[in-house]
Amino acid sequence: MNKKIIFILPGLIIIFASFFASKQPDVLETLAINYGFADKTKENLSLFSGYSFPFIKNSFISTLLAGFTGLLIIYILFKLTKKATSYFTK
Amino acid sequence: MHIQDGFLNNNLAGSMFAGAVCMFGYCFGKMLKTVSVVSENLVTNHGNTPIKQNIVFLSKKSKQNFQELALIATWIFAFQMFNVPIQSATSAHIIGGVFAAILAGPFAGFIIMSSVLIVQALFFSDGGLLALGANIFNMALVGSFISYYIYKNIKKTNYVLAVFTACFFSVMGASLSCLAELAFSNTIIFSKAFKDMTTMHLIVSLLESIITLILIKLFKNLNGDINE
Repeated sequence: MNKKIIFILPGLIIIFASFFASKQPDVLETLAINYGFADKTKENLSLFSGYSFPFIKNSFISTLLAGFTGLLIIYILFKLTKKATSYFTK
Repeated sequence: MHIQDGFLNNNLAGSMFAGAVCMFGYCFGKMLKTVSVVSENLVTNHGNTPIKQNIVFLSKKSKQNFQELALIATWIFAFQMFNVPIQSATSAHIIGGVFAAILAGPFAGFIIMSSVLIVQALFFSDGGLLALGANIFNMALVGSFISYYIYKNIKKTNYVLAVFTACFFSVMGASLSCLAELAFSNTIIFSKAFKDMTTMHLIVSLLESIITLILIKLFKNLNGDINE
């Protein structure tokens, strides 16, 4: 029961974030704009740039899917680390 | 708070990347020690006296430990996605470093924060790849690892005060080290941007303290047997 809630909560936050998260620039981006170094940014190409899913135009669904993909990637990363560690410590 | 590529001097970014890799390796080794068991085995030595050999393997609790680390990391990722408006045209998110370090310990906290930052930089363009070392220094080392020891020292006096002070140091320390890196790279003048950076992050530090307190309480209630 408790484990289920623990797993569900990040998902709920992602849904909440997709609905209500501010699209305004963060503190460092604001400083970059105000102090004139925003143009120095070198955007690196990523699969889900700006927390959006490619090919999906609806911003809510796009952010939601990107968020859930992020959670999944992190979970798999730790799962693989555990597997690799147990393999090498045998 | 995530520094993008292009803001930092390449030499500084590169050396911080190397430092972050070393620190990651050190913390990962320390973290593994807590989930490993060493057993002494006697190995035959071609008819001579057998030699004692230490065999290291993961403890039975390690599966649960790794699962807890993954969960804390997902919580932090989710919270870092949630940008709260703090001024008319500015938003901010919490770091979550103190939350990670209090629940999992400083070494595992560093690993959790670094892994979240790596995923954000690789898959979401949130922070540059070359600037990853600087971001790890700011949010995982200053924002989590060092802040944990502030929490640990004040905890004996007052738990709430300890969390508030650690969160304050975490956010302000991370933002000032970020500013120092930008100033060192001749991107910004430290004294000019100091006021803007600190005033905006004061609000974030208050937000971070409140959310950290609630999250720790919630996580401990839901998962009572977690160890520090």
